[in-house]
Formats: sequence, C-alpha cells, structure tokens
Amino acid sequence: MSVSDEKEKSIFRYLSEYDRRIIYFLLFIVVVGPLISPIAMPISVSPDSKQYYDVLRTLGSNDIVLTVLDTEFSGYMELQSGVIASTRMIIEKESKMAVAISHPEATIIPDILFGALKDLMDAHHYTYGDSYLVLGYIYQNEASVASSAEDFQGFVRQDWQGRPIKGTFLEQVRSWKDISLIVSHTTGILSGSVMNHFALRGTRMIVNCIGGMIPGQKTYLNTGILKAVLPAMRGGAELESLIGIRGLGTKAMDAFTLGHYMLIAFIIIGNIGYFGYARPRAQKARTGG
Amino acid sequence: MPPLFSVPGVVQGRFLGLLCVVALFLSVIYYMRRKKSLYIRKVAGLDAIEDAVGRATEMRKPAVCSFGIGGFGYSTVFGLAILSYVAELSAKMGTRLIVPTGGGTASMVVRPVAQDIVRQAYIAAGREDMYKDEDIPFFSGQQYAYIGGYVGVLQRTRPAVVVMVGSHASETLNITETSNAVGAIVISSATSVSYAAFLTCSSDYCLIGEEGPAAGAYLSQDPSQRASIGSQDLFKWVALILIVVGLAAYNVGSDVIIRLLQS
Amino acid sequence: MSAFFKSREVILTAAGLAFVATFVPYFVTIPELSVISTKLVTITALVNAFTLALAVHSQFMRGMYFVRRRSRGWILKAYMMVTIVLMVIFATMGQDKGPYNWVMLAIVNPLSSVNYGILAFYMASTCARAFRARNMKALLFLAAGFIVLFYQAPLTGSIFPGIEPVALYLTDTFAMAITRTFTMSVTLGAIIFGARVLMGKQPQVLGLGGE
Repeated sequence: MSVSDEKEKSIFRYLSEYDRRIIYFLLFIVVVGPLISPIAMPISVSPDSKQYYDVLRTLGSNDIVLTVLDTEFSGYMELQSGVIASTRMIIEKESKMAVAISHPEATIIPDILFGALKDLMDAHHYTYGDSYLVLGYIYQNEASVASSAEDFQGFVRQDWQGRPIKGTFLEQVRSWKDISLIVSHTTGILSGSVMNHFALRGTRMIVNCIGGMIPGQKTYLNTGILKAVLPAMRGGAELESLIGIRGLGTKAMDAFTLGHYMLIAFIIIGNIGYFGYARPRAQKARTGG
Repeated sequence: MPPLFSVPGVVQGRFLGLLCVVALFLSVIYYMRRKKSLYIRKVAGLDAIEDAVGRATEMRKPAVCSFGIGGFGYSTVFGLAILSYVAELSAKMGTRLIVPTGGGTASMVVRPVAQDIVRQAYIAAGREDMYKDEDIPFFSGQQYAYIGGYVGVLQRTRPAVVVMVGSHASETLNITETSNAVGAIVISSATSVSYAAFLTCSSDYCLIGEEGPAAGAYLSQDPSQRASIGSQDLFKWVALILIVVGLAAYNVGSDVIIRLLQS
Repeated sequence: MSAFFKSREVILTAAGLAFVATFVPYFVTIPELSVISTKLVTITALVNAFTLALAVHSQFMRGMYFVRRRSRGWILKAYMMVTIVLMVIFATMGQDKGPYNWVMLAIVNPLSSVNYGILAFYMASTCARAFRARNMKALLFLAAGFIVLFYQAPLTGSIFPGIEPVALYLTDTFAMAITRTFTMSVTLGAIIFGARVLMGKQPQVLGLGGE
C-alpha cells in the first residue's frame, strides 16, 4: 500500500489507493496485446467521418488542394491514418496537391507519406512537380500563413528543395481564392491561423485533428467555417473503412477500443474504492468518530 | 441566407465585426479613463493560493509557479500577474519559489519579465539573498523538452504547491499527475477548452476560463487589465441579449437577428 | 539615431500604422491599402523567418556563457551546442537522405512520439485517481463522460447503435455551448489585449520594458 501503516486493510482501501504502476502496466498490456494479436473488432462510422469523406469525394482533377501538416511528429502518430487515407483519396481523384509544413519535426512526414502510397501514385501517374509539390517548412507563424493567403506567389517561390514553382500547377495560385480545398492535419499549432486567413475568407477547409481538439473544431464545423472534421485516429480508421482499406488506423482500433474500456474500468474501480473507503473515512474524520 | 444590409465599401459580412472591434476599443478607453476603479470580485482560487504557499512554508518545501508556454498574449499577462502575487507571498513567507520557463518558441521573450517580477518581489520583502537565477530555469522552446524539465524539477524538489496558470497545453496532464504523485497541491487555470475538463478534475483548485484573467486583473490593480475585464463583461451581456432575442425571434419564425449577425 | 527608433513614441506609432495597414483592408475595400497590407505581411513573414537564425545565435551565446562559467549543468549546454552545429551541418548535406534524415527518424521523432504516448498513461492515472462522483453534479458529469467515452470506442457504436444519438446530443449541445463560451471569451480577450498593446499599456510586448 502507498499510505501509512494502518490496521484497517480492506478491498475498498486497496481499490482506492493502489499503486499507479499497476494502472500503467494494465494499460500497456491492453494496448499492446491487440497490436500483437489483432482481434479485428467491427468499426462503426460516425457522421463526422462520413462528412469528411463526402467532401473529399467532391474533388476533381482540376482542383488544387493545399495539405497543411500542422503537427509535430508525435501528433502525426495519432493523425497518421487520417493523413494517409486523405492523401490516398486526393491521389485517386488526381487532384493537384501542395504540402506545406508548420513544424520542423514534420519535415520528414512527406517522405514517409508518399513512400507509403508509392504504388497508388504509380498507378495514377501521380508525379512530383506535375501532380504534387512539397513546399516544406514554410508556415512558421501566423504572418507566414497570412502572407501565403494574400500573396501566394510573393511568399512561395520554390519548393523545399529549392526548385522554382514557376511552370508548375502552383503558378496559377495567387491567393486564397485559387485553392480549392485545404486539408489541415493539425495538433493546433497554426490551425487557427489557417482558418482565419483562408477558411474565413471562403476557401473550403477540412480538418483532421487530435482528440483533444475535437470539441473546439466542431464549433467551427457547426457554423460552416469548416466543412468537415475528422476526429483523430478513430476518424482515420473510419475513413479507411469508407474507402475500403485496412490501414494503420483500423489495425489500431482494437487497442483503441480496449484502452477506452480500460479507462472506464479505472474510473469505476476508483469510485468503488472512494465510496467504500475514502469517503466514509473522510466523513468519520469530519465528525470526529 | 442573405445579410440584413450591406454597407458600400465594406466587405460583405464584415460590417458587424468591424463595429464590434471599434466598440471594444472605445469601451476599453472609456473604462480606462473612468476615475472610479472598476470593481472586480475576489476570485475564490486566490485564497487557495495564499493558503497553499503558507502550507509550503510550514512544510519547508518549495513552491512552483509557471505562467504558461506562450509568448506575450492574453493568457500570459494574467499568468505573470499571478506569478507576481505568488512571488510576493513566497518572499514574505521566506519560501523558495521555482519558476520553470520555456515550452514555446516565444517563451524566451517572456522569461526576463518573469525574472524581474520574482527578483523585485524578493527585494521588496528584504530577502534579496533568496533570489537565485537557477530557480527560474529555461527548459527549451520545445514543449516536450519543457515537460521533461518541469517534471524533473517536481520529482527532485517535491514542492508543496504547484501553481500552473497562463496558457498551457498537453503538459497539464504530465504536470498535474506528477504533482499529485509528489504530494503537491495543484492550482491551475483552464484557458483552453481542450484541457478545461481535465484540469477541473485533476487540480485541487481551478480557475476556469475568465476567472484567470479576472484574478490577474484583481491582483495587478492595473487599470488597463480591469478595463479589459469590464469591456469583456459588457460584450458578453450584449452577446447574451442577442442570443436570447435571436432564439425568441427564430422560434416565432423571424430570421432578422441571424441576418443581422451576417451583415 | 538608434535612440530615436527605440523610443516609445516611434515604436507605438509604427505598431499603430502596421495595425491600420493590415486591419482596415480586411473590412474595407481599399485596393491601395490591400497592396500595402499584403507586402507588409510578406515582409513580416520573412523577418520572422530570420528570427530562427537569431534564436540559434542566442542559444549559442547563452550556452557559451554557461560553459565558460562551468555553471551547474554546463556539460548539457555544451552537448546542446554540439548537436546544434551537427544538425546544421547534416541539414546542409541534404534533408531527404543522409544523417539529418537518420537523426530525425531514429532519435528526434521516436523521442517526441514517446512523450506523446506517455500522456495516455497519465490520463489513465487521472481516471483512477481524480474522476470521483463526489456530489450530484460530479455524478452527472461522470455519467455524461461514460456515455461519450463508450461511444468513442468504435466497437460500442457497432454493437449498440443506440448510444450514438445520445453521445452526439451531449457533444453537440453541452460541449458545443461550453466551447463557444470559451471561444467568445478568448476572442474578446485577444482583441482587447491588442487594444491595450496599441495604447502602450503592455510595453513588454513591444520590447519597451516594464513601466
């Protein structure tokens, strides 16, 4: 036990005060187990993911999509399934895509992303320069986002390897008006700035965000500023099931589900211990009994 | 739905926004120029801060206070006001105060101000010898490096109280849990809706939403901060009236308020 | 000359003009001002980009100070400076292949991901420790939390579809209302903070020092 030596030993006391390392160990088992030995639980599709999917389905080969990787690499682990599924849909629609990055850790994500989709890109002749460009770490702060929204050609002259964008599809992008859709994969670094300078002006914008940001983003969805919000890893898995692939998100959903149930179990166990031991003890101390 | 009206020369749908911003500016000026200081009630969490620092003194343990990971913004300003209060209390009671800084790229700019605040508090209490630069460590402009340093400080120094105000992000989870593990009281402010629920549950006391800036304005006695709170309250009343009137209008089949807000 | 540009009046005037140049075109259609605003924003973005170099320089100077004095933890400062130099060299050798790519993939990104993953354990610990039904209000919050948590697990939605409307109702009404309240408060606060900066009431923001 983690408290002072008392004669009273009961199951309720244990449930109220057990070592937190037991929590960590149990959670680890519950999350890692299904990753090693998948259970393949069924997945339901939420209306939010369906809405996100419907927006991506409207893309055509003449559309220019600005994909903003507004995440550290750690956040990318949660957004990965949504990023890959969204990019897959953009490639299948053969829309043009520019990738802008707002965190130094995310600079290697395009390599990982396009590496994972190489076969699909070859099948659709989706080539660098003609179909997509990686602009690199251009969004360091709100000023850079604002500048690209107002004067894209003045702000972006070359891609991340220093090759001029002149002669590519980005030559026709002058401002926010010329971008058909913004797909923001975000942990909240500059999502507000992108929304302020693009979406509020009229550019269509959809967001794939981490779990903690969902309530905040849904208010903008409700008002129509955002066209869709993909809710974190679960949304990514649902998007994968909508497009008919079994990707990283789907594989993680077993662990995701069991992890959630484990959290609920911890809350229930904690409350059993609270009502059985901690609360009567506190009441006893107050009344002096 | 078309807007109720449009003003020539003004971008459609932005007239009311322009009006709102201008009105906010004017209201701040009005409240600042008022001779009578605006009344702000004492936020309950402030008593908790005083009790907690007293507890730290009795237990001969340090107090830890952080003001956020952002640059100079709305949340950081009230974070600094509360830091000033905690520093004054710590200096008066002779308690060591540790102020972890960093966590964001703009946080380096705020650090000298925080150093100055703490130093002045110790000088004013006649305990200049207690001020140490090492007690205001800078833990990098990267959030996770900051978390590592902060948690390390908590585990090594085992403070009696952790005051975590200003703009914090996901580090709130690490800090509150580690604080609880080392037996510290946690007093926090929830400025982000993403972490408000978590902080309310895991902190011993939480200043939710506007309570943080109100506490900062109360403590700092700065007329401009008080004017800010007054202006915000005024506009919240306006928003409340618009919501009630708009709901009533919508329910009787009129969309005039909605169209007005779209103008 | 530099004293003139560092004076409070000049700095506040420049801030005010920059504000007017970028604020007004957003609301009022003035083509000439729009052009000025666009150029000003682009210049700001470029100046901000150069602050990265300034930050590296600043960290170096600070690190050298610690190392020269052999202050506590100077070895870590020296390590930090060596890694800065190495990463700059690696970056000039190419970012898509080579040592930069390896360091990012093998060291920086896994460490960053681990820090993020640890949050789950802290959340679990909080669930066990802090989420108590201490009173009726807390009980109602917990009940709502249970419903939303259950719904978040994809399996629940597929075996018990009836939970979806309840969970969505909770998130689309109560959670939405709270979020909107926060958004309004923060937005009003940000606008008023900007007003205070322009009036010179927040001198530290403009680098004027305390008053």
